[in-house]
Amino acid sequence: MSPISNNPPKNLRERSQTGPRHERYMNTRRKRHRRQAVRSFIGILLTTAILSAQDIPDVTQISLEDLMNVRVTSVSKREQKLGDAPAAVFVITQDDIRRSAARTIPEALRMAPGIEVARIDENKWAISARGFNGRFANKLLVLIDGRSVYTPLFSGVYWNVQDTLLEDVDRIEIIRGPGATLWGANAVNGVINIITKEASNTQNGIITADAGNELQASGGARFGGKIGNSTYYRAYSKYFKWNPSTDAAGNKAYDGWAATRGGFRVDGTSSPDDSYTLQGDIYRGSYDETLTQPAFAAPYYSTFQNNGNFSGGNLLGRWNHAFSKSKTSVQFYSDRTVTAANRLLIDHQSIYDIDFQHDIRIAEGNEFIWGLGYRSTQDRIVPSNVVSLNPNRRRWDLFSGFTQDEFGLFGERLHVTVGSKFEHNAFTGVEIQPNARVAWTMNPKHSAWASISRAVRTPARTEEDMRLNAAVMPPSQATLGLPLVAAVLGNHNFKAENMIAYEAGYRVHPTRTFSADVATFYNSYSNLLSAEPQSPFLEVTPSPVHLTMPLLAGNKMNGATYGAELFGEWKATSKWKVSGSYSLLRMNIRRNKDSMDISSSDPAGASPRHQFYFRSSLDLPKKFEQDVTLRYVDALHGLAVPSYYSLDARIGWKPTSNIEFSLAGQNLFDDRHLEFSPDFINTWPTQVKRTFRATVTWKF
Amino acid sequence: MKRLRLRLALAATFLIFGLQARAQNFDAAGSSEYLVKAGFIYNFAKLVEWPAATFTSPGEAIVIGVLGSDSFATTLERVVDGKKIELRPFTVKRLKSAKDSKDCACHMLFIASAESPHSDEVLQLLKGTSVLTIAETPGFSKQGGIINFVLEDSKVRFEVNVDAAKHAGLNISSRLLSLAKIVQTNVTAR
Repeated sequence: MSPISNNPPKNLRERSQTGPRHERYMNTRRKRHRRQAVRSFIGILLTTAILSAQDIPDVTQISLEDLMNVRVTSVSKREQKLGDAPAAVFVITQDDIRRSAARTIPEALRMAPGIEVARIDENKWAISARGFNGRFANKLLVLIDGRSVYTPLFSGVYWNVQDTLLEDVDRIEIIRGPGATLWGANAVNGVINIITKEASNTQNGIITADAGNELQASGGARFGGKIGNSTYYRAYSKYFKWNPSTDAAGNKAYDGWAATRGGFRVDGTSSPDDSYTLQGDIYRGSYDETLTQPAFAAPYYSTFQNNGNFSGGNLLGRWNHAFSKSKTSVQFYSDRTVTAANRLLIDHQSIYDIDFQHDIRIAEGNEFIWGLGYRSTQDRIVPSNVVSLNPNRRRWDLFSGFTQDEFGLFGERLHVTVGSKFEHNAFTGVEIQPNARVAWTMNPKHSAWASISRAVRTPARTEEDMRLNAAVMPPSQATLGLPLVAAVLGNHNFKAENMIAYEAGYRVHPTRTFSADVATFYNSYSNLLSAEPQSPFLEVTPSPVHLTMPLLAGNKMNGATYGAELFGEWKATSKWKVSGSYSLLRMNIRRNKDSMDISSSDPAGASPRHQFYFRSSLDLPKKFEQDVTLRYVDALHGLAVPSYYSLDARIGWKPTSNIEFSLAGQNLFDDRHLEFSPDFINTWPTQVKRTFRATVTWKF
Repeated sequence: MKRLRLRLALAATFLIFGLQARAQNFDAAGSSEYLVKAGFIYNFAKLVEWPAATFTSPGEAIVIGVLGSDSFATTLERVVDGKKIELRPFTVKRLKSAKDSKDCACHMLFIASAESPHSDEVLQLLKGTSVLTIAETPGFSKQGGIINFVLEDSKVRFEVNVDAAKHAGLNISSRLLSLAKIVQTNVTAR
């Protein structure tokens, strides 16, 4: 037995970081129709609005030198990918990030429909897709440049550890719904791919600095260069320090956050058929929290200020080779992280992962891919009286393989993708995760897709081996005069959680300036985690003698979720773009009839039923930019978190092409609001304040 | 219960499919990247000299083949519509597959990234002809392609393989070369 909570990232790819499987997933139909509208901003060329289809600017009148200075919006971005993938896909581009008020990855994710992002305190986040949100949300797979950052300890993400220089992010691709066939177990409700630029696209230098009332100070620097003819590199470093936020009464909280990191990336071609990437990061940081923990002596809990820190590093290499009718890639990475919530738990974790993939073009319009992967995970836990794992150290393996075939029917109007992942994990053995997807392009303006897929979430190490003393009740007659400890226990018989997802979507692109899509889903879950009470027993350690009520991890919850996400974008003029989204989520999760679970709360209470998002991006005269975002998040009834609106605004100014100033304000509507309340580990939630910051970016 | 769900899902799928609108003409306009690339291609036509025997008359059109992107073809058509280089107008041809490049009678051929897996095949087919090959595939010019677009910091740049141009009998003006990154055919390339 041994746990594996995540699975190989499937992001191998030639030249850049999105794997061929990934690429295929994202743009199944790229060959036939590139469907982009004229992007609204065409540099110096298009100072006048493009109002009709006939009204294309006369680029033949522009000199080559000027053409070379035009900043273009890339073809391979949102429209094209969205237009073709048989899945609910959304792309956050570098420009979206730059023009938002976001300075962290979680903040940037708020732009995506169907994603729930809630800040618990300054350094903690609850992020999920299509329900089941929490600090330890475990149904979302997150990758940075093909490296999984999903921790096997609790099957979630340490969001306070993940970061990079945001200016180097090329795009964030978000898939709502299962991606298990390509990405493997735990890509249940969604996959987030954070993709940085290739080194050849970051050949200049950048220095950025921010200061504000909450983001006290932040600075980053990057430079790039070239070795020989065909090898590009860049290196970056970054530092930030967030001031503490406030508690509900407006008093200063204890939730500061600071980190330093640095990294590099090298991309090169060693022959026309071979390309490689080598990249790595190191980081170190600290964070504060106020923690309430159960205690074995009166008053049976203690509240204290806990200081945590984290450090680690990773190294990834990828090699792509093209044959005449096929392509292969091999990717290897290692990732070591130490996260120390000092008085609670210290987790040392090392992961080694290797992946191979082979894409074969069997015939025109028929592409077959297969791949193999292996991952070794090793951890060492320093326990506390509250959380412990047995054994303290563990190493476990994951073997995986997948096949997928994609072919066109009826003159390629209908595109079918079928495939399956097969993997063997140390906890639950073999898991099979098939999917079938169909995309139908009725004409270049209308397309529809539908899919059926199965995904599993394999057990986390905690679900196998943990003991969490969740609460201690004072002695009473009912407890024979002894303190009663409620202990959540891992279970070696814990099975994988299952989901069958039925999805369908429709995309429409009626004019060059307007596009919209809708995605709907019905997810049916079984074997979800429950906490099954067992017979109480006496324990003598730690003293005093106490009665322990075990709550054993079980698989006795089931149910379904359904909902829809709508997204629309209108490029009103070449200088003004508006977009909006609405997300609906209904959850109906219940205990099995034979479950004795009395403690698990209804997950529906931790996810908003309605969310909407509206954004306006306007280019003003004299090189000013104005961006406004309005967000609504419905109440979280299970956590007593009221609904809220949040208004963010940004003004940017680029007096020259090298320098950019911006001022941004967040949560301009209210002084402060609560967004979430923690689960499992009782850290004090803090308020999200009205914040301001100023940023300067200098390129050289 | 499962079967019922499946049936419902299928029914919903067909319902959504049923909503299809009537086929309409696609008014592709291309992204700004393609617009700018179209501008470059027009300039290439101006700054490249084909062997004397290529054109039979002074008014014969310059034929540009586009492989792998209808929307680029549409953008390019709009850009070069009504334009002439000396007396030559332009014709844009959409190629369905790499094989078509042989019989296209093109003077220039653009291979969009979607067809990049076939760029090698195209180069083989066009060996010994005077077609100006243009792509947007990393490594294309090293592979023996003549011009390759690259994006650097969101700006369009291009590489020129001078040897490949010479082999094709094309004379590229020094003005164009002065803006290009000069690339040589990689010896290991087939």
